[in-house]
Amino acid sequence: MMRGGGGIGGGMMRGMRGTSADSMFAPSNDNLTDEDVVGRAYDNRVVKRFATYIRPYRKYAFIALASLLIYAAVNAAIPWVIKLGIDWAVTDGNIGRVHIIGAAFMVITVIHFLSNRLQFIFISLTGQHILYDLRSGMFGHLQNQSNAFYHRTPIGRIMSRMQSDVLQLQETFELLALALAELVTVGVIIILMLIIDWQLALLCMLVVPILTVILMYWQRFARHSFMRIRRAIAMVNGEYNQNITGVRVVQSLNRQDENLAHFRTLNQEYLDANLEAARYSGMLQPLVELLIGLGIGICVVLIGGFMLQRDALEVGTLVMFALSIQRFFEPIRQLTMQYSQLQRAMAAGVRIFEVLDLEPDVTDKPDAIALPEVQGEIKYNDVLFHYVPGTDVLKNVNLHIKAGENVALVGSTGAGKSTLVNLLHRSADVTGGSITIDGYDLRDVTRKSLVHQMSMVLQEPYLFSGSVRENIRYQNEGATDEEMIAASKAVGAHDFIMELDSGYDSELAERGVNLSIGQRQLISFARAIVGNPRILVLDEATANIDTHTELLIQQALNRILKGRTSIVIAHRLSTIRNADKIVVLDRGNVAEVGSHDELLEAGGVYAQLYAINYGLSGPSVDVAPVGGEVIGADGLSPAAAD
Amino acid sequence: MGILWRIIGMAADYPIRLALAYITALLAIGFSLAIPPLFGNAIDLMVGQDPATKEFFKNDFTISALIFFGVGILVVSLGRGFCDFARTYTTESLSQKVSFDCRNLLYDKLQNVSFAFHDKEHTGDLMSRATADVEAMRRFVNLGMIRSLDVVIRILAIPIFLFVINWQLALVSMIFVPAIILRSAFVMRALRRKWLHVQEVMGQSVTVLQENLAGMHVVKAFASEDYERSKYNRKAEELRVEYYDAERMQGTNSAWMTLYFTFTLGIILWIGGWLVVRGDLTLGELATFFLFLNQLTFPVRASAQIINTFSRAISSGQRLFNVLDTVSPVSERPNASDMGRATGHVKFDDVAFAYEDRAPALHKVDLDAKPGQVTAILGAPGSGKTTVVSLLPRFYDVTSGKITIDGSDIRDFTLQSLRHNVGIVHQDVYLFSASIRDNIAYGVVGATQEDVERAAKVAQLHEQIMSLPGGYDTWVGERGTTLSGGQRQRLSIARTILIDPPVLILDDSTSSVDVETERQIHRAMTEVMKGRTTFVIAHRLSTVREADQILVLDKGVIAERGSHEELVRKNGIYQSIYELQLRPQEEVLLEAAVPAYGRAAL
Repeated sequence: MMRGGGGIGGGMMRGMRGTSADSMFAPSNDNLTDEDVVGRAYDNRVVKRFATYIRPYRKYAFIALASLLIYAAVNAAIPWVIKLGIDWAVTDGNIGRVHIIGAAFMVITVIHFLSNRLQFIFISLTGQHILYDLRSGMFGHLQNQSNAFYHRTPIGRIMSRMQSDVLQLQETFELLALALAELVTVGVIIILMLIIDWQLALLCMLVVPILTVILMYWQRFARHSFMRIRRAIAMVNGEYNQNITGVRVVQSLNRQDENLAHFRTLNQEYLDANLEAARYSGMLQPLVELLIGLGIGICVVLIGGFMLQRDALEVGTLVMFALSIQRFFEPIRQLTMQYSQLQRAMAAGVRIFEVLDLEPDVTDKPDAIALPEVQGEIKYNDVLFHYVPGTDVLKNVNLHIKAGENVALVGSTGAGKSTLVNLLHRSADVTGGSITIDGYDLRDVTRKSLVHQMSMVLQEPYLFSGSVRENIRYQNEGATDEEMIAASKAVGAHDFIMELDSGYDSELAERGVNLSIGQRQLISFARAIVGNPRILVLDEATANIDTHTELLIQQALNRILKGRTSIVIAHRLSTIRNADKIVVLDRGNVAEVGSHDELLEAGGVYAQLYAINYGLSGPSVDVAPVGGEVIGADGLSPAAAD
Repeated sequence: MGILWRIIGMAADYPIRLALAYITALLAIGFSLAIPPLFGNAIDLMVGQDPATKEFFKNDFTISALIFFGVGILVVSLGRGFCDFARTYTTESLSQKVSFDCRNLLYDKLQNVSFAFHDKEHTGDLMSRATADVEAMRRFVNLGMIRSLDVVIRILAIPIFLFVINWQLALVSMIFVPAIILRSAFVMRALRRKWLHVQEVMGQSVTVLQENLAGMHVVKAFASEDYERSKYNRKAEELRVEYYDAERMQGTNSAWMTLYFTFTLGIILWIGGWLVVRGDLTLGELATFFLFLNQLTFPVRASAQIINTFSRAISSGQRLFNVLDTVSPVSERPNASDMGRATGHVKFDDVAFAYEDRAPALHKVDLDAKPGQVTAILGAPGSGKTTVVSLLPRFYDVTSGKITIDGSDIRDFTLQSLRHNVGIVHQDVYLFSASIRDNIAYGVVGATQEDVERAAKVAQLHEQIMSLPGGYDTWVGERGTTLSGGQRQRLSIARTILIDPPVLILDDSTSSVDVETERQIHRAMTEVMKGRTTFVIAHRLSTVREADQILVLDKGVIAERGSHEELVRKNGIYQSIYELQLRPQEEVLLEAAVPAYGRAAL
């Protein structure tokens, strides 16, 4: 537990970790507010909301609070017990009383220890449970967000909420406990001082209002410099992060010297900001010491001495006051230090709850049913879709795909091909019309039951760290080894997997980068097949694979697609030509539907596209891109025929 | 301990700050140690004890004597305050300087260390080193190096003062010191292990999170949200347990330390009070004892924290120095020379290569590419195509054999000059969070707008850039405009054009784009290849046929080489690739052309 109290190194400078860079440059068009918003030191909504997180652990919290109060009260009472010892026992010359007080003190010590230990343990227990709930809740909730959300929200911002904001709360949680203990200590000290000698007590506390005014003035400057630190560290971390993720480009383009120079300026700003803050917080030190000096030197010794001479007080009172004054100002100073931490925590709280309050774009209806096993007949009925109102991506799409049909989607970039297939697994809901599978409206069934009957292979293969086995079974954890191996063999991944160090148990690095992109794609094909889906969507799945591998996959696909409904987005002629049905999309409309030959005859958009792309160029090698499009034309025939 | 010494060494780079920090810290302690005796003497000035009857009575004292003590305490407090301020500032400045240096070193190391290192490391983990671990080091300098002095000196000096006043009472009040020392030593070791573990688990949970967010489209496509939740929750739960464990240990330690201290107060009250009653100790001296002990409150409380900074610094320092000490397998020779501008004659001479801890990826690769020649590299995935080209800019170094450019071993040149001569268009194009202009000009300092535009034009990208609302100022990368795969690839080509390297590597696995875009990419590629020694990982017939030589890789060995015509006749791997993949392209090409025209040409 990182307790405060380390002066400048304590509460103030810690926890300023953030990975969000550039927030001041780029437009923010997502649902999350900017990171630089200054929080209030106390935000009722945040606190109330936070209280709901404490509720499940209220027993722990109660024990923590109770032990904390006992601890603080005992702590404050120690000078008073010493005063009792001096005035009631020692100066009275009564040895028996000395023993009574001594023994009583030992009992107090034990209570002090036990309550101290209990509060540490239960604060940590409560805090860590709450942090777990927050982390887990945020993560869980993030899973509900649609692809559209991730499209508009940079990962770095979400990461910084999950990491630095949660850490902020963690630290604040501990600081709050500490602050509470200090408040109670100060309160009890004041009460005891007033009871023992209210005149001297008031004299000693005369300086408190002055201190308060000075501290409030000081806060304004300090706050400014803490903001500066936050901004600077966000820039530093952003630059650092970018340098790691882009290191391959940095090295191949020889950018190291310029990058380092740039980084140094950002780093320097962070250093300067910290030093400025150090000056501000350091300024408080002479002030507090001055007040302690005034309290002990002038009030206690000088004035107290006079009062003692006139029998207005006892000598133990002087000792008690001297001991109390030292315990009195330190907490006040600590509390001011924690003020800025509180501000940050509230801001962090606001940001965390913002994530937890995000409305998922796509949710299951309350009465959604589980989609029974389907044949795979898909109908798009007057489907409208837009991400941003006013710019329709799909306009009145009507499409009927029979069960078991193999459909190729064709169209230029931006025609809406990917959107069309993404609606199928409800990465977003249609804005108008409906999509049905075997007659079930997609919105009437649970997303999970729907998606379990389809698999996708995307253009960029994306794997998770973990074993090859875990990755292949990603959709179907219950798959047997036989099924997994059969799937890998079917897509031609088995051989290279077996060549890895531990075969299917080989660990993949983050995102599988220790495999080539082609190998990753083969695994993602195997992953799609192990799910044994009724509907298979291939979104330019073979784009990143070399022709050799693609050929293998094409052969495998012929078998795999049999009996399943499939939608394939591709540019390669071979794939397109062999489809049962070709759907041509043009700026969000279905322009044509038919087989290759039918469409060529019809002489419409497809024929035009075909002529432009594959026709007019002629056979000269100069127009070589033509060759690139059409791999394994005649389809899979060369090999399939063998 | 070596790690701590190293951190101390880094701080010693700022001797003036370090010295000032220590001097002001010592002065502050000196001032504050004067307060208890002043106060005790004031009490003795006020109250006396009859040596015979042991009765207490009030002294008649002069005001000037009282003023001496009162004002004395005030002045000493002020002195302490100003010294504390100076100490805080110099300490903060010292520790910030150390973390400043550390971040710079780390940044520079990470951008220079070879790919082999980055293949193994996770971004999230490297980030946490730059943030949490650097911070732990800074705290060590602040608390562990400077503040600990305060604790140690008080713990050493105060007993001496106490001994002078009354050695018996001093002795009794020190009975817990051995316990404190033993406990500190023990807890320090145990806590270090604990925190190291917490950091590991934290890193793992960040990796899970990062992968999940970046791969959300996959998660969605497989409806594996529940699986992901349980995966993350397992990590979060582990983190919770480990954190709690570490905090409990630390809290328990802190409670014990406080106990020793409070107990000591009690003993002083009990035995000290007894001594005063017997007349062996004055009331003022007892008060002095209390005030001295009170001065130990914060040091003792802070000591748990300070011990923690030691253990955190050792674990964090270890993680940091592991990175900083990484010797990049690719490093410059001491007498490396500047390459100048090469003509571009590339030779591989019996090259073998193995990735760390893995089976060899290349054996006995010989090749000779004359200036301006195009070499096409073909092969199944995993056959070593990318590996061959990664050796040329020394992203990795050959395990044996050598690579020469214009006759000299590439390891004899500075990395910078070598990489100026070898350009690479990557398969995965990385965009920096910056304007398009800056992204294109990324490799060339001081490139003008004209240069950038020229490169963009050659790369067939200029018009598309101009059609964006912000033109060349459009922000891309994280939180910026998204560019399509084809645009990114052409941007990468534009980058390379601007650098104008005599040797060029094209990792050409075009992400599938519509035909027009693909044609633009091809045009850009043809442009950029002109007059350069080019290695292209090729997938298309056109590139392969145009190449001056074709290398066919099979399991890390060059299985076949030659021109298209030679290889087709050979009846080997190339021939089968040609039959299976390339020729069909050609046939479709012909069929697709205006039929009569095409067939006739055949």
